[in-house]
Amino acid sequence: MGTITVEKANELFWLGRYAERVYTTLREFFIGFDRMIEAEEAYIEYCKIVDVPNVYESKREFLEKYPFDTENPDSILSNLYRAYDNALVLRDEIHTETLSYIQLSIYDMKKARVSIAPLIEMQKVIDNLLAFWGSVDDKVDEEKTRSIIKLGRRVERIDLYLRFRMSCDKLKTEKNKLEKRIVRTGLKYDESKLCELSSMIDSGEILLNQAIALIESLVEV
Amino acid sequence: MEQLYKQSEVVNDLLARYGVKFGIYKNGNFKEQLFPFDAIPRVITKEEFNYLERGLSQRVRALNCFLKDIYAEKKIVKDGVLPEEFLYASSGYLAECESIMPPKGIYSHISGIDLVQSKDGTWYVLEDNLRVPSGASYPMIARELCRRSSPGTFMENKVCDNRNYASLLKQVMDYSNTGGINVIMTPGRYNAAYFEHSYLAEKTGSVLVCGSDLFVEGDHLYYRDYTGKKIQVGAVYRRISDEYLDPMTFKEESVIGVPNIMKVYKKGNVALINAPGNGIADDKGIYYFVPKMIQYYLGEESVLNNASTYLPFYQKDMEYVLENFDKLVIKDVAEAGGYGVVFGSSFTKEKKEDFIELLKREPRRFIAQEVIDFIDIDIMEGDQQVPRKADLRAFVLTGEDTYVWKSGLTRFSRNPDSFIVNSSQGGGFKDTWVLSQ
Repeated sequence: MGTITVEKANELFWLGRYAERVYTTLREFFIGFDRMIEAEEAYIEYCKIVDVPNVYESKREFLEKYPFDTENPDSILSNLYRAYDNALVLRDEIHTETLSYIQLSIYDMKKARVSIAPLIEMQKVIDNLLAFWGSVDDKVDEEKTRSIIKLGRRVERIDLYLRFRMSCDKLKTEKNKLEKRIVRTGLKYDESKLCELSSMIDSGEILLNQAIALIESLVEV
Repeated sequence: MEQLYKQSEVVNDLLARYGVKFGIYKNGNFKEQLFPFDAIPRVITKEEFNYLERGLSQRVRALNCFLKDIYAEKKIVKDGVLPEEFLYASSGYLAECESIMPPKGIYSHISGIDLVQSKDGTWYVLEDNLRVPSGASYPMIARELCRRSSPGTFMENKVCDNRNYASLLKQVMDYSNTGGINVIMTPGRYNAAYFEHSYLAEKTGSVLVCGSDLFVEGDHLYYRDYTGKKIQVGAVYRRISDEYLDPMTFKEESVIGVPNIMKVYKKGNVALINAPGNGIADDKGIYYFVPKMIQYYLGEESVLNNASTYLPFYQKDMEYVLENFDKLVIKDVAEAGGYGVVFGSSFTKEKKEDFIELLKREPRRFIAQEVIDFIDIDIMEGDQQVPRKADLRAFVLTGEDTYVWKSGLTRFSRNPDSFIVNSSQGGGFKDTWVLSQ
């Protein structure tokens, strides 16, 4: 262990990204869902923010399909399956215990699909994902391996925070964490892009599309 | 023990949590399935295990001698113990392995021997699996979860700990290692036994690799990490079939193998676990000769019994098979996993005639065996205990010594009318307890 191929580095990175994507998207979904209890059209705005094609005819259809539709690559469950696909081939690196939290998330997400109170089951998915990150810290001894998964998490979080138009303070915190993490991975990355993104966030003058393009192409895996 | 039975569902939930699954292809689609676990263990007493241990160790030592002989001098053929036809006609015999001596002279490092116990208590060996036998990881993880779910059961019963399988496997890999890291080579996540590959890699501290992660340079095998550094590999526990191992030696269309790995192996610069070419020893036709091998190589009587087997290849046996067709089970030597097994009694008149034609045309292709009415073991079905047919796969590991693992995979049929226990055909599994006193 600790001896990983380019392919595994890629899988670690994307495991981090997808796990984070599910986590942050769920958090946002909670806020959106709450708003949608009263507001019939709030889902349209939500789709715009999270950059999901609005293929839904009603709020009800959105709430029933968007989180669980495995035919839709943007659904929360589809992203969770992608996290699982990466985690499954990394058992020897991340350990069975860590993998189990992704597996449990799938089971809980499936329960949410048939529940009258889906957020209650989805809360368990959030809990599982937090436990997943705890297990990464606890079980993955090799620093570079651990750092690659966490780098995926940081990249995804900045990407999503940009899309969700979160505050500069939040972005700054994440960007600082990313700068510390990226050097520990041993992965190749584009320093000039990191500088450009960093100064954009520090100055508070963020050109959204440009910033997203920078974060998306920062790491070579 | 009652307490453990009641926890069956809890243990199955935990197995699901940890992704204890196997892959199956149905109508061209891949599907992952949970491997149903039944909490009632198969219990083997200390005395009974001592007997099995003697027999299994003896059998595997003889099979290793056979493989060493068959790919070198072939004395067993020259001395007339094994007819030449059974050697060269076997699909398991690989001419490419002629004269290759594996590191430390070990061919079968991990042997899976399938046994059943008849109703009079006699154990019979049904099959020797010396290529890539799978299944040890299931009772290993199940034991861990059973202990967690029902600690009292293990306080009250003195059961040998079976969770040492990974350390035994690591010892075997380390012993054969020619210098470098240990790797477990998998065909990939869509292989039926992928859970086992990844779990054993985790537990042995080996690197889980696909063929494309390895390469040959000069006379050595390497693994390249993501920084570009190459790392020498000394032992490969490969979980892919011989024919896909090296496209330069075997099937050239293989994309899951490592080009030229056989060249490195031939030079003695990497251990392949198990050795290529072992298929000759677990050929169903060769099985008939194992007791003779034990006599020939070790000068001992076989401790364990073979099921009464007939080779239609021999005229006398063919006559017996034709006379007693309805009470025999016929096996195609080229098939595995419970496929190619037919009971004589199950044929219609027409089908029987067709099959007998085939048998006469290709007598080397089949063996016939007396049907063993093996014991039923109870399983839980809801709240009820119901009897089902079950076999045992024992694992024998060969490194510096030959060691019989104090456990095994007990597979059972979920269908009350079936003798077929294979997971691919809907069977489940149990833990196998060996009592320590």
